[in-house]
Amino acid sequence: MIYRETGTFSTSYIEDRKLFPIPFDKWAMGVFLLFMVFVVPLIASDYWLAAHLIPILAYGCAALGLNLLTGMTGQLSLGTAGFMCFGAFFTFNIMLRSPEWMNLPLAMVLAGSVTGVIGVIFGLPSIRIKGFYLLVSTLAAQYFALWFFRSYPYFLNYATATVTLPDHHFDLFGIGDAFGVDMASFEAKYLLSLGIVCALALFAKNLMRSSTGRNFMAVRDMDIAASVIGIPVIRTKMLAFFVSCFYCGVGGALFCYAYLQVLGIRTFEMNRSFEILFMVIIGGLGSIAGSFYGTVLVYEFPILFSWAGDYLLGGAFDTAVVDNVAKILYGILIIALLIREPGGLAALWLTAKQKLRTWPFPH
Amino acid sequence: MASGNSILQIDDINLAFGGVTALNGISFDVAEGEICAVIGPNGAGKSSMLNVINGVYVPQSGRVIFRGQDCTQMRPRQIAKLGMARTFQNIGLFQGMTVLENILTGRSLKIRSTWIEQGLNIGRARREEVENRALVEEVIEFLHLQSIRKTPVGKLPYGLQKRVELARALVAEPTLLLQDEPMTGMNLEEKKDMSCFALEINREYGTTIVLIEHDMSVVMDISDHVVVLDYGAKIGDGTPDEVKNNQEVIDAYLGVTH
Repeated sequence: MIYRETGTFSTSYIEDRKLFPIPFDKWAMGVFLLFMVFVVPLIASDYWLAAHLIPILAYGCAALGLNLLTGMTGQLSLGTAGFMCFGAFFTFNIMLRSPEWMNLPLAMVLAGSVTGVIGVIFGLPSIRIKGFYLLVSTLAAQYFALWFFRSYPYFLNYATATVTLPDHHFDLFGIGDAFGVDMASFEAKYLLSLGIVCALALFAKNLMRSSTGRNFMAVRDMDIAASVIGIPVIRTKMLAFFVSCFYCGVGGALFCYAYLQVLGIRTFEMNRSFEILFMVIIGGLGSIAGSFYGTVLVYEFPILFSWAGDYLLGGAFDTAVVDNVAKILYGILIIALLIREPGGLAALWLTAKQKLRTWPFPH
Repeated sequence: MASGNSILQIDDINLAFGGVTALNGISFDVAEGEICAVIGPNGAGKSSMLNVINGVYVPQSGRVIFRGQDCTQMRPRQIAKLGMARTFQNIGLFQGMTVLENILTGRSLKIRSTWIEQGLNIGRARREEVENRALVEEVIEFLHLQSIRKTPVGKLPYGLQKRVELARALVAEPTLLLQDEPMTGMNLEEKKDMSCFALEINREYGTTIVLIEHDMSVVMDISDHVVVLDYGAKIGDGTPDEVKNNQEVIDAYLGVTH
């Protein structure tokens, strides 16, 4: 057995509250992160960085945001792409209209905060309504975002459809010039996204294992009991909307800056909201790691299926037919997964771990 | 245990839902440090009474005075801040959380750190988590919940869930504890445990307890003061012995021949 849990005992409450109580988990995570930071930029081609890793990070950030709201706090939302839209446009405008010292991560934080405030405004109905009704009211955010940026071309710097995001926005404190590094290369964009997403994931994890996170879950599970024990229900919901929309806003900014490299309204249509909702549901509602599992699955599987289809049947059938069959198979896989394990990939992973733990004598 | 000073005064409470009168001019006092049982047949308005006391319902008229403050119009959260905690009749636990997390939520009123500090896991936030955990562990030990602290509450049997709920109320360090049918659906052993816990809480921490209970032997054994409700009106109020011999109470429970 490589993986061992026995023999690790916490002797203080600090130890018991550690992120990775099991040394193996800690080492595995460390090795994984080192690999992602130092090895991946060296071995991955531009195609892998630009078309796989960067979009997964950007989607993952938004999915994590939605999961904090829907999975943790139980407030359904279909406004995700709308909030991403706000985040992306505000980041662009802050970069465009600020003095020299402004840099991309700071602009994303500022834009995320503004998006958070907008999220709180669109979250106000959650004080009185729940579930599907709230879902419908968050649609307003989705349509408002698109309408707003269509109506005020100022925010797109009066471009007709899209703006190509300039490379110099990526320069951080003149590091690029000083060391002769191309800060707008895919490697740099990938590392920037990775850094931001890791920091935000860690923040979310800390939040969820402290009082605020427990308040979120208490509001999700039973709001009357929560108010009776003194949890400020309305404030907790509003905070959940703020934090969630902050994450979605940053995710939207990454989506445009690091992935698409152009900014346009069409990027944030309704179907993007659904896509992220599927990621969260498939990954596992209420699980931070699950948000990323779901993102990888929803983003990569259609590509994988169509590759496999082309490889196996490409010669014999029309590509479009093969692609559609791949989509159907992918859909069946998702349905099967959700029937088998409604808790999503995160729950599946826990079950697998439990099975392995007792293998080969499960009784 | 009662010291004679009243900690809670219920003054002429009237509560109606539409045309249905739930509580009709109820008044009684709860003395500091006593165990007060509220009893009565089904539908007498006992749970409504508790909901009025801790602010879930706002009565149409009358006043609730807790530790000298009129809290009739207060929200449940404000009343919790004054030092009142409660358990629910059909379990108000957070089903998606573990026993430990559930009990920790009981400390949320005492948290001073902001969410940003908690997200960054620095200074005050970190210290508070450890302090609260230590206090929660004391209660876990007191109620013998050590072996299940990391179990999701949804997987626990009913009796244990009730005990976890009691733990969550206790960690808030209340001066007044409201318990809505803490022993319903329990077997004799569990009832004995719960009665002992109530008595110990009352003696060790000096917590005043108001509880609703149907098991008369428990009520007569542990309470200092019994209030009897029937059809929203108070029909008896006094020591267990006085209530036991009250003709109106006997009639309400056993029925009268017409």
